[in-house]
Amino acid sequence: MSSNMKPNLEIDPLDRILAGDEELIPTSGFLGSVMDRVREEASAPPPIPFPWKRAIPGIALAAGVFGWGGVELVRSIGQWLGSITITEPHLSAAAMHTIEPAGLVTLALAVAWGSWLFSRRLVGRVELL
Amino acid sequence: MSGASSSVGPEQDLADVDRVLAGDAQAFEGIVRRWQGPLVNMAWRYCRDRGRAEEMAQDALVRAWRGLAGWRRESSFSTWLFALAANVYRSELKRFPTVTLNLDEISEPGRAATQHESLSEEQSRGAVRRAVLALPMKYREPVILFYFHEMDLAAAARTMSLPEGTMKARLSRARAILRSRFPHLEEHGIGENSEDNSAAGIMGREAGR
Repeated sequence: MSSNMKPNLEIDPLDRILAGDEELIPTSGFLGSVMDRVREEASAPPPIPFPWKRAIPGIALAAGVFGWGGVELVRSIGQWLGSITITEPHLSAAAMHTIEPAGLVTLALAVAWGSWLFSRRLVGRVELL
Repeated sequence: MSGASSSVGPEQDLADVDRVLAGDAQAFEGIVRRWQGPLVNMAWRYCRDRGRAEEMAQDALVRAWRGLAGWRRESSFSTWLFALAANVYRSELKRFPTVTLNLDEISEPGRAATQHESLSEEQSRGAVRRAVLALPMKYREPVILFYFHEMDLAAAARTMSLPEGTMKARLSRARAILRSRFPHLEEHGIGENSEDNSAAGIMGREAGR
């Protein structure tokens, strides 16, 4: 197929309407407005470069402090988790029998809710389709 | 002419770009002079608001000025400029969408009630153009650019940085939506003997695959 499809205006009214759009001529001040903005930008001083030389020690210090803090946080969380003892609740067989399907139902509801949200998002994106 | 082409060759653009990059800001005036018409017309097709079209075209030209060094010259200057402008217009319309009707609210003008053929034609034109603006952006933009580039699918695809196949599929879908809203256009003009180079024929066959 030729990529360049010229309109056959005798045949297709949709093409005739869409291809036969009126042509606008820019207003007389348009060129001047653009060039004013361009000249303004051209005459503006260049942006001040970021002072990397001065900033590097500060950035390194901040990274060190945050890194040390992160390591300490992880260590303290590990200690805290180690001190916790989890005991399973004593539930009767009848109670367990009720809870297991409830979990499955909750999971199914969550999946259904997620898929509903996803489909709404899709419909919202294509709007009319 | 729809205004996608400039009256001078690419050498002039190249020379002006080189002068601008060498520090002569005034050389950009030549570029603005040559491309203001096409860019304003392209923006007009995106928003159908003259004042806003000029603002959008102005933003696109200023953005082009800032990014001139980024033009790698692998593609023509016009391709680069139109792609940049399309990005600017798309972003602008995302931030402040045009006020449009829902596509379902746009009806085909009744032919029987209209006595004057010219008025009927004008009503059809208006309704079809409103319907184009009511299309989802994914389909609206291919329609706008395809007709802006005088039905040159390759040029429209380059402006959107899309493969031609994707462009053709979106255009085909857009046309199908428009036809479903305007069945009378189908009845009165599109027959079985459409020529090969008619967009209707090509897109219609494409949609049927």
